[in-house]
Amino acid sequence: MDISTRRRPAITGKCNMIMALLLNLTFYPLMTLWVVLGILASPLCLLIWKLCTGWDWGRIVRHLISIHGYGLIVIVSPFVRFERCGFDTIKRPCILVVNHLSFFDSYFMAALPFHDVIFAVGAWPFKMYWYTLFMRLANYLDVENSAWDEVIRTSQETFTKKGGVLFFPEGHRSKTGKLQPFYSGAFRLSAETGVPIVPLCITGTDTMLPPGRSFLHPARVRLTALPPVDPAAFPGSSGHVQMRKEVRAQMARALAKLQGEPCQTTL
Amino acid sequence: MTDQQIIELINSSLAEEFEYQGGMTPETSLFEEMGLDSLDVVDLVIVLETAFDMKIREEEAIRSIRTLGDIHKFVIAKKRQTESA
Repeated sequence: MDISTRRRPAITGKCNMIMALLLNLTFYPLMTLWVVLGILASPLCLLIWKLCTGWDWGRIVRHLISIHGYGLIVIVSPFVRFERCGFDTIKRPCILVVNHLSFFDSYFMAALPFHDVIFAVGAWPFKMYWYTLFMRLANYLDVENSAWDEVIRTSQETFTKKGGVLFFPEGHRSKTGKLQPFYSGAFRLSAETGVPIVPLCITGTDTMLPPGRSFLHPARVRLTALPPVDPAAFPGSSGHVQMRKEVRAQMARALAKLQGEPCQTTL
Repeated sequence: MTDQQIIELINSSLAEEFEYQGGMTPETSLFEEMGLDSLDVVDLVIVLETAFDMKIREEEAIRSIRTLGDIHKFVIAKKRQTESA
């Protein structure tokens, strides 16, 4: 091994550290600015949007949240290569289930091909006070504190307008990068409404911002949609349990495969 | 429905929902032994509501449930209360 070959990893390591520093020095100030600007401009934006489209407030806020997420993707884009694939198989309405690796996963959902998406989450995201009002206005579902009838009713309303409901069925971010056990909510909703599940696999956000860290790292993030899963294939009172197992198995296989496979479409 | 039938339905429904294969006695702890957490409690409530066709989410007593035996007692009492109403 010659000297230049031996020095290459050290140089690459230094470059990566510089890139990571630049990412953190630019991202946090710009994110703060983007959030503050968004909060200040949102009343006027909402009003203009309402006057121009006549949409219901929830739908408008959901689109506005999507723009917010897209802005954050743009901010990190010089340092984070983002790819998506399989999106042509997504038909609406649908229930999206996504594996959960990082706080940043939610923002990458702005890259979905449609933006009328209600997030079904636990109680804690509603405690981020700067987002709470927008989450309420967007009719996001607090599955920990809502009655199941209410979850069904809100979801049905969205489905009739060709919208989607998105779950992180693991409930929490994975600390190991491995897929955790799934909760039943998304699959029960699918079984009761007949709306198909679209499994989404996200990779790379654990490199970018793993749980418990605040220092961002450059990464390659991929969002891959798997073929939809029809609840009609899982009949019976425990059909949702079988569906949950099947979807989790599909996602686990796909995530293992995705580590080494090329993706096609870059955002 | 007898108490025993209620207990059997609770046990089978929970074993299926949470894919639990361990022993199920009234002393079995939901959190330590069955490994449930706060989000699982959401699923647990829905399972019981569906199995017994009753609303229990708003019940204060549900918050103090810790063992399988607590669930048995709670559901039996609730069923008897509904039947006598």
